[in-house]
Amino acid sequence: MQRILEPGQIEALASRSVPRLVLPARERVFAARATRLEALASRDPLGGYLTFAAALARAQHDAAAGLAPGAPEPGVQAAARAHGMPILPARGLRRGAEWRDALAAILAALGGGRFPAPVARAGLLLGAEPVALLEARAERLLAADGRDAEPAAAPFVIAALQVYWVVLASGRALGDVPLDAAAAVCPVCGMLPLASIVRSHAPYAGYRYLQCGLCASEWHRVRVECTQCGATDGISYQSIEGGPAAIRAETCERCRCYRKIFYQEHDDGVEAVADDLASMALDLLLAAAGYQRASAHPLLWQPAG
Amino acid sequence: MAEVTRREFLKFTGASLAGSSLVLLGFTPETALAEVRQFKLARATETRNTCPYCSVACGVLMYGTGDRAKNAKSAIFHIEGDPDHPVNRGTLCPKGASLIDFLHSDSRLQYPEYRAPRSAEWQRISWDEAFDKIAGLMKKDRDQNFVAKTADGLTVNRWLTTGMLAASASSNETGYITHKVMRSLGVLSFDNQARV
Repeated sequence: MQRILEPGQIEALASRSVPRLVLPARERVFAARATRLEALASRDPLGGYLTFAAALARAQHDAAAGLAPGAPEPGVQAAARAHGMPILPARGLRRGAEWRDALAAILAALGGGRFPAPVARAGLLLGAEPVALLEARAERLLAADGRDAEPAAAPFVIAALQVYWVVLASGRALGDVPLDAAAAVCPVCGMLPLASIVRSHAPYAGYRYLQCGLCASEWHRVRVECTQCGATDGISYQSIEGGPAAIRAETCERCRCYRKIFYQEHDDGVEAVADDLASMALDLLLAAAGYQRASAHPLLWQPAG
Repeated sequence: MAEVTRREFLKFTGASLAGSSLVLLGFTPETALAEVRQFKLARATETRNTCPYCSVACGVLMYGTGDRAKNAKSAIFHIEGDPDHPVNRGTLCPKGASLIDFLHSDSRLQYPEYRAPRSAEWQRISWDEAFDKIAGLMKKDRDQNFVAKTADGLTVNRWLTTGMLAASASSNETGYITHKVMRSLGVLSFDNQARV
């Protein structure tokens, strides 16, 4: 979109720097996600799954409001700063028990007969599970990007972990987070990004941000570059013909992977987790064309193998 | 290795969907799977380039349709400033902002043309013919006007009657070679990216 700059704006623009990191706000992340999912659910070819996802996000929002995790280990953070590593590493930080409180709250909120029976069943099974098993589940989900995840239980477990990490991340200051120019993983928690968003509002307009699939932090990454392998040649933007202009997949011919990229200028309310899930048709078409997702969707785990 | 397993895991098909969270939690992807059959992929490109107008060399993003990755012809439909470019930060001057019209202009010069002396007609010629003609004219002019020494005997080896303008979007390497070629001929009047 083009606009004419007035005198004074050019100087202001020239002296600004790119906002490199946007930390999540615990009171907004899940509410915005739920609102978006509810809007998308009205035309839901996924048989109500978006409605379920919306309810899950609402439950996450409520759980986040009541969560007060203890301060993360200062040693880990100091070491992270000294070596330019993620400050709240999902695979190194000792998790507080609070994430299990979030899980219990989420399971309680999703109980009842609103959803198909397997939802309640999965909730009951998880709710009765001993701490050691739950911790092992969390460890597996965070350790290898969920390749050993159990698809029916993983959405609830990752939802609780998201609440925990979003709350932790939203308490950080921007200056606390070491930044790498072309970070392939989240500078806050070290997990893989879920998707890209090209923002349309100042001061983020025109920049591409990668959004973390766990803590929802967003970090700047130069556009037209493969977020998986760093290639700058052979990048294409594939979408469904006649489909929404805001939703594309940034595909790479070198590594044959893709992440979706959402253009806020075409749809102001676009939200990475919600729109990625709601655009599953694009995944199926790309899979048929021989491309692979670069990272799993937190609500759409598949059996390993 | 974990990496290989992870990629295996991320294969996304109707079959693998059968064991996914969605189905195991009791929801049905059938509508979505049926819907996909009527959809087609459309491919677009975003290409980073440099504005050709001046030596500020602003970065531009060119939006095109079609399949550049597979060497098919792509059609550029929009050009805007590259927000990531440190020089212009997404902005363009009025000339740069109208690049798309320059690109698709009917009068855009796309091949060498020649107008013979006293003729009103332009005729299309090949690049080889154009190079030969330019080289011949340059040699003729240089033979006539090259100054090896000044009147008081000072060696200068200069050629002042011909000049050269080169593109602003040239790379460092192009700038370097332009400089070497023109200076070695004795040309003093030229302007290109090498001065920036």
